[in-house]
Amino acid sequence: MTRRIAIVEDEPAIRENYADVLRKQGYEVAAYANRADALAAFRTRLPDLAVVDIGLRDDVDGGFDLCRELRAMSAGVPIIFLSARDSDFDVVAGLRLGADDYLTKDVSLPHLLARIAALFRRADLLAAPQASEEILERGPLCLDLKRLTASWAGKRVDLTLTEFWMVHALARFPGHVKDRDSLMREAEIVVDDSTITSHVKRIRRKFLALDPAFGCIETVYGMGYRWSGAG
Amino acid sequence: MSSHPDAASRSNGVPGPSVEARAKRRGRIALGIRAQLLLVLTVFLAIPWLGYEYVKELERFLRDAQERTLAGTAQAVATALHDRVPLFETNPTPLDTLPSERLSEDPTPRAGADADAPGPPEIAQILRGLSRTTARIWVVDRDQHVLARAGTLRHAPPALDAPREGSYLGRFAAWLDREALQPLYARILQQPTEDFSDERSGGSGTFGEDVEGALGGILTIARRPTADGKAVIVSAAHPIWVGDEVKGAVIVEETTNAVLAERNRAFARLFNIVLAALLIGSIALTLYASWLSTRIRRLRDEAEAAIDARGRVRGKLPGSAARDEIGDLSRSFGSALSRLTQYASYQEAMASRLSHELRTPIAVVRSSVDNLALHPLPDEVRVYIARAQEGLGRLASIITRMTEATRLEESLAEADRERFDLARVIIGCVDGYRAAYPGRVFELRVPSGEAPFFGAPDLIAQMLDKLCENAVEFAVADTPIVVALQQDETRYRIAVSNRGPALPETMQGRLFDSMVSVRAGSGDSAPHLGMGLYIVRLIAEFHGGRAIAANRTDGEGVTVSVTLPRVRAVR
Repeated sequence: MTRRIAIVEDEPAIRENYADVLRKQGYEVAAYANRADALAAFRTRLPDLAVVDIGLRDDVDGGFDLCRELRAMSAGVPIIFLSARDSDFDVVAGLRLGADDYLTKDVSLPHLLARIAALFRRADLLAAPQASEEILERGPLCLDLKRLTASWAGKRVDLTLTEFWMVHALARFPGHVKDRDSLMREAEIVVDDSTITSHVKRIRRKFLALDPAFGCIETVYGMGYRWSGAG
Repeated sequence: MSSHPDAASRSNGVPGPSVEARAKRRGRIALGIRAQLLLVLTVFLAIPWLGYEYVKELERFLRDAQERTLAGTAQAVATALHDRVPLFETNPTPLDTLPSERLSEDPTPRAGADADAPGPPEIAQILRGLSRTTARIWVVDRDQHVLARAGTLRHAPPALDAPREGSYLGRFAAWLDREALQPLYARILQQPTEDFSDERSGGSGTFGEDVEGALGGILTIARRPTADGKAVIVSAAHPIWVGDEVKGAVIVEETTNAVLAERNRAFARLFNIVLAALLIGSIALTLYASWLSTRIRRLRDEAEAAIDARGRVRGKLPGSAARDEIGDLSRSFGSALSRLTQYASYQEAMASRLSHELRTPIAVVRSSVDNLALHPLPDEVRVYIARAQEGLGRLASIITRMTEATRLEESLAEADRERFDLARVIIGCVDGYRAAYPGRVFELRVPSGEAPFFGAPDLIAQMLDKLCENAVEFAVADTPIVVALQQDETRYRIAVSNRGPALPETMQGRLFDSMVSVRAGSGDSAPHLGMGLYIVRLIAEFHGGRAIAANRTDGEGVTVSVTLPRVRAVR
């Protein structure tokens, strides 16, 4: 069964380029230039995954609205924001609306494809009932590498794909310092240092919400971060 | 003084020196608005002088009127006596044979009872009817023998006004008038007095030219001072005709005391009013000028507080609601400042807007090149794709740097502060730089022991990144970059120093602004957007500190330092 990906993007060149490369990968692609068209199409048939730009021409926050509406229709459809806007405010707002990931338009096509593939894999495995074999355990932390889900002391930690990969990169070799470049590489994002910092901050907050004593992600100033097994 | 916001008064908002002090420094005499207005007010001192001239005119007029009245009286008496031959037939007993001391010594007029009748009783009769006037009337014959006399020159001075009952103000005004002004006027003006010697009162034959003129047949008016000079007597002499012959004369005399008193009263009143007006006027003008200069000074202080030493607009000018020129000035100052602020924020936001606008076309190029790369292509074409991708990578890193400051500003708003060891962060960071810049030597000068600080360690690390990036870019090859932490009671100083070109004079104040770079295109790989030191400044200011760039004392390089106040961690 071919998977169907919806792209909502107002810039025709980008829209077509993404559509082309995804089609070449064997996906079925539906491209929309504005929120109304996309929404109308979603009502008749839900896509398997949606890539949504935030600013849609005059509809400045149209992508946010669309995400909210799509999430209301289906809790399971993976949604990726792909936007020129890179402020923390937008990232937080987008993820809070239930998006699975937030990418800036700097992302290269291979990176985008990797993410899309990973999200499909996660969606499939979440639906599948059988237990996964690929599990990484570090004390209370448990990472399901197939399903791309994380849990802390048995409780599910709701991480985005980027965040999951960063936690994985850190937790794989506890005690080893990961500098920002290698974190970026492993999380398949291209961002600047301060974005890494805010990603780490968000990850910490998610763990702290479950366990106020959480202190496993340690900052090594001038170097990067490391997973400290003691926590 | 206006109340400044605390931040404003720290360095520049302190009230500047007064206008006077400033002008003195320039070696000129300075007058504040108050002094200038008071100077202008001296013009009004001409008003009392004008009043004095006016009163003098009034006096002249009163004198004329007095003279005319006297002449009229003399004429009337003479008319009654014309052609009454029998009156002048008898040779009367001269007046000087009669005792008249009582009359001349007693200043109290006794109306109706003071007409002497040395001459024919008919004349006395006639004169008695006239003796109610304030004048003294003589009738003399041709030999200047007094035939009759009536009236006196002396009159009781008018009773003083009873002290006015009424408000305190009224009583105060009366007291002031009595104690201060009247003595003053008495010095300026001649005061009428009833205490004068009147040489004519008792004798005959002492008449002057007025009588001689009258006996010559002409109405003569004369004015003469008394012998002691204390009063002036005006007299009018009119001939008495019997047929064609002058048989005698009527002389009507009066002191000018009434006129003087009238003049003095007018003068006093005028002066009182002028003085009161001047007093009120100068008080009002002084208050007005104080108000004006206070407003102008407040405007100046506000304007100075609104812009800091580096020319950055620090706050908004409140702007006055007054509808006059000063209010106008303050509003136009305010709008000029807000335009300046807009421009500054436009400049600071330009980087982020520009990067946002650039992202979309770059995404077009990148996705196209990526698409192209997925196609089977001959190797010689792949070279170009690789180059295009490398260029795109550089563009992306430029954009990332451009937005770094904006993102930092956003993250400052929600940065968490914690207590941490500043020294440990610096040591860690420098270790990182040694790894990141293998060709460089980093010299670390950090005091032993903990350097506790309350702030955001991530931000401090980011600040050090920028400081060292900056130093590495400028440092002469194979010279050490010195990273030092100093501390005293109140603050920390982090200094990063390198050997290299000195700072250009003109850029000193602007180095820490957004998109300001002193670098000439050196052709190396990393893009220079002038955001690094701007980020340093943002982080320093977030921690209540300051960033300073200065040439090294040895003249061989530059030290960029950040001072951070030691704030006690509130636990």
